[in-house]
Amino acid sequence: MDLEDDTTILTTLKSFNSFISRPEHPQRLSEHSAGSGILQSQYKRSMELLEAAERVHSKNRYLQLDQEKKQMELSHKRARFELERAASDSARDLEHEVDRNQELLGQIKKLEERAEEVNKKLTEQKEANDALQKNLEGLNKTLEERDDKLGTANQTIRSLKDEIRELRQKIQNQDSKMSAQTLENQELQEKIDLQQRKYQEVSQLCQSLQAAQSSCSDHIIKIKELERRLVFQEQDFAIVKTVKSEVARVPDLEKELKRLRDDNAYLRESRENCSLLKEEVEGLRKKLERMEKTKEELINMELEKERLTEKLHAWENLGQSTGLNIRKPEDLSREVIQIQQREIALKEQNYTLNSRVRSVERSQSELRAELTQQHSKTLEEQKKREAQDALVRRLQKRVLLLTKERDGMRAILESYDSELAPTEYSPQLSKRLREAEDILLKTQSHNAEMEAQLTKAQEETGTLKLQLQTAELELESLKKQQASATDSNSLLTKEEVTILRQKIEDLERERQRLEEQNNILEMRLERHNLQGDYDPVKTRVLHLKMNPTAIAKQERQQEVEALRQEVTRLRDLVRSLQSGGAVGHSQDDTHNPSFSLSLAPSKEVLDLRKQMESSELRNQRLKEVFQRKIQEFRTVCYVLTGYQIDITTENQYRLTSVYAEHMDDSLLFKKGSNGSMQLMETEFSKTLGEMVALHLHHQKSIPAFLSAVTLDLFSRQTTV
Amino acid sequence: VCAWHPCPSTETALGSSDNLEHRRKDRQVRLAAFGINSILYQRGIYPPETFTRVTHYDLSLLLTTDPKLKSYLTNVVSQLKEWLFECTVQKLVLVITCLETNEVLERWQFDIECDKSAKESSAPREKSIKTIQHEIRSVIRQITATVTFLPLLETPCAFDLLVYTDKDLVVPDKWEESGPQTIDQPEEVRLHSFTTSIHKVNSMVAYKKTESA
Repeated sequence: MDLEDDTTILTTLKSFNSFISRPEHPQRLSEHSAGSGILQSQYKRSMELLEAAERVHSKNRYLQLDQEKKQMELSHKRARFELERAASDSARDLEHEVDRNQELLGQIKKLEERAEEVNKKLTEQKEANDALQKNLEGLNKTLEERDDKLGTANQTIRSLKDEIRELRQKIQNQDSKMSAQTLENQELQEKIDLQQRKYQEVSQLCQSLQAAQSSCSDHIIKIKELERRLVFQEQDFAIVKTVKSEVARVPDLEKELKRLRDDNAYLRESRENCSLLKEEVEGLRKKLERMEKTKEELINMELEKERLTEKLHAWENLGQSTGLNIRKPEDLSREVIQIQQREIALKEQNYTLNSRVRSVERSQSELRAELTQQHSKTLEEQKKREAQDALVRRLQKRVLLLTKERDGMRAILESYDSELAPTEYSPQLSKRLREAEDILLKTQSHNAEMEAQLTKAQEETGTLKLQLQTAELELESLKKQQASATDSNSLLTKEEVTILRQKIEDLERERQRLEEQNNILEMRLERHNLQGDYDPVKTRVLHLKMNPTAIAKQERQQEVEALRQEVTRLRDLVRSLQSGGAVGHSQDDTHNPSFSLSLAPSKEVLDLRKQMESSELRNQRLKEVFQRKIQEFRTVCYVLTGYQIDITTENQYRLTSVYAEHMDDSLLFKKGSNGSMQLMETEFSKTLGEMVALHLHHQKSIPAFLSAVTLDLFSRQTTV
Repeated sequence: VCAWHPCPSTETALGSSDNLEHRRKDRQVRLAAFGINSILYQRGIYPPETFTRVTHYDLSLLLTTDPKLKSYLTNVVSQLKEWLFECTVQKLVLVITCLETNEVLERWQFDIECDKSAKESSAPREKSIKTIQHEIRSVIRQITATVTFLPLLETPCAFDLLVYTDKDLVVPDKWEESGPQTIDQPEEVRLHSFTTSIHKVNSMVAYKKTESA
């Protein structure tokens, strides 16, 4: 449509353009033509133009509408698309909803089923409830039956109470019997007293008997003593006899005594005399000794005297011997002084002379040194001169030789020149020349060698001569020195002596120091030796390998190890015992046979434990039995008497009646110090004032009071 | 063991060995054995009931009856005799050690100075029994006297005999070298020395100072 539209548009446009162009031409052509026809044509043209325009315009509108239509269609399509999509979505939703619906329907069905079940259960439980209620009713019926039974039981209790009364009567009878028996008891006690008195009498008799026996034994002892004394006395008798015999000897002894005493006195006197004499003797001896000493001294003195006299004589004769007119020692001393002075002067001269001699000798030595130097110089110069003479001679010889050679050569040359004419001489000449030259060279070299050897020899001899001369000079100088040394000895020796003396003193000091050190070291060594040190270079310390200390150490170690083992074994034992107490026999048997010792105690222990357990069991059973019995008795009492008796505190008993209206209704009884029971005030007892007055104060019977109370309460219960 | 038999018979029996030197050495060695026995008895190293009184040289002396101790002493003494004869012994030491702490508590030292030249030139100087008795008595008296000032040995102790010999000696089979076993900071007491014909014996005892002292 569009294309068609386009083509129509184009065609219209073309036609329009063509129309426009035609008219133009015609316009131009027709311009010249008539004017009225121009207006019509213009009008026609304009009308055609208008129509064309309208056509175009309508075509445009048509095209626009087409386009809009297309757009509309497009939009329609889109809308349809969307609608379809929405439709599909909604279809899907629908499906979902449908599914959900179905699920919900299913759930609803399930719930309905559950509800049905629950309903069923409900009905079942209702049925059960009904059944239980029926049971309850049954039980209630049984309870009622039991109550009936209780009533019958109460009746029986009443009958039992009657029996109790009868029993109490019996008890009273028995009390009377008991009193009778107590009387009998008293009688018996009186008899016992009698017996006891008799017994005491008998015991007294016994004691008297024992006393008598003891006295008897004492008597026996006394008798024995007396017998012993008798024996002693007999012995004494014998002794007395011997003494008597001895006594008879007494006067003789006395006489002897007297004699001895006299002797004693005499001896004592003589002893005193002896001592005196001894003292005298000693004194005399000492005197003797002194005398002898003095004698010796005398002799010595005389000898000395003789010597001294001789000396004196000699001294006196000195004067005569020396011829110096000496008569007194003063002269001698004077002479001596003079001599000394002379000596001093001479010594001074001596010193001066010595100093001069020394100086002279010094100068002499200096001169000698100069001399030797001069000698050496002269020798050197002589040697030089000789060498130069030798050189000169050698040179002269050389010159002679050279001249001789030259002459010889000239002669040869002349001879050859003379021989030249006849013959041809050049090769022979040259040969001979060469030979001659060779010979020359050889001789020259030989000469030079010889000359060199000669010079060497001459030099050696020269040096030897020099040495010899110097040695001779030294020898001469030494000889001269020796000769002079003996003169100056006395001077030099003194200096040497002092030097040597100093050296000696130093050495002595060192020696002393070393000696002291040595002593100290020796003392130290001794001390170390005392302590047992030794020089390992020289000594060795030995001992036996199996010595007691080593053996003792070994034994000790073994003991220690054995003790350790025992300790570990005992620890294990103890642990096993502590754990084995709870374990039975069989386990103990499975232990080591080394525990055989431990089995016995563990068996005992187990037996003891078993006994303990059995006794504990017994105790427990007894306790249970007692408790049961007590409980039974109490219940029986309660049932029969109608009162429950509780012990609240020491000696206080609380009684609650069977027929009590309230739980707290109770009667309190206290046991007094004399054994009687007293009723204490309680709230319940306040309500029973009348009965208290009647039964307790009047009749003074607690059982009557209690029975009255029960009857009263029972009557109240049954009426209520 | 012939060393322990009563004296006169052994004197003659040994005399048959024909050497006065041997007899002298025996005497000295026996002296040493008596001294050791008395030290062991006085210091209580062995219980007193193990010692018996034996008569030697007309003296009543204490000797041990413990067989192990006896055999040990005879071993040592016989070897000592040999060495004395060769004059290679310098000292004989009896060391008492405490078994618990292994410390040396006492040290009895006998220094023997041997006159080697006298070995060959043995002028036979017979010793009378009186001199022998005197020697033994002096030794034992000294040992007994020292007990008065030596500290008590309260812990169980054992003893050992050491012999100081020359270095170049051949060590016999059962012997071994040991240390000098000296006491740390000892108190020393010199005892009376006595001489035999060729030996001069100096004796001393060193003991460890007790803390209370």
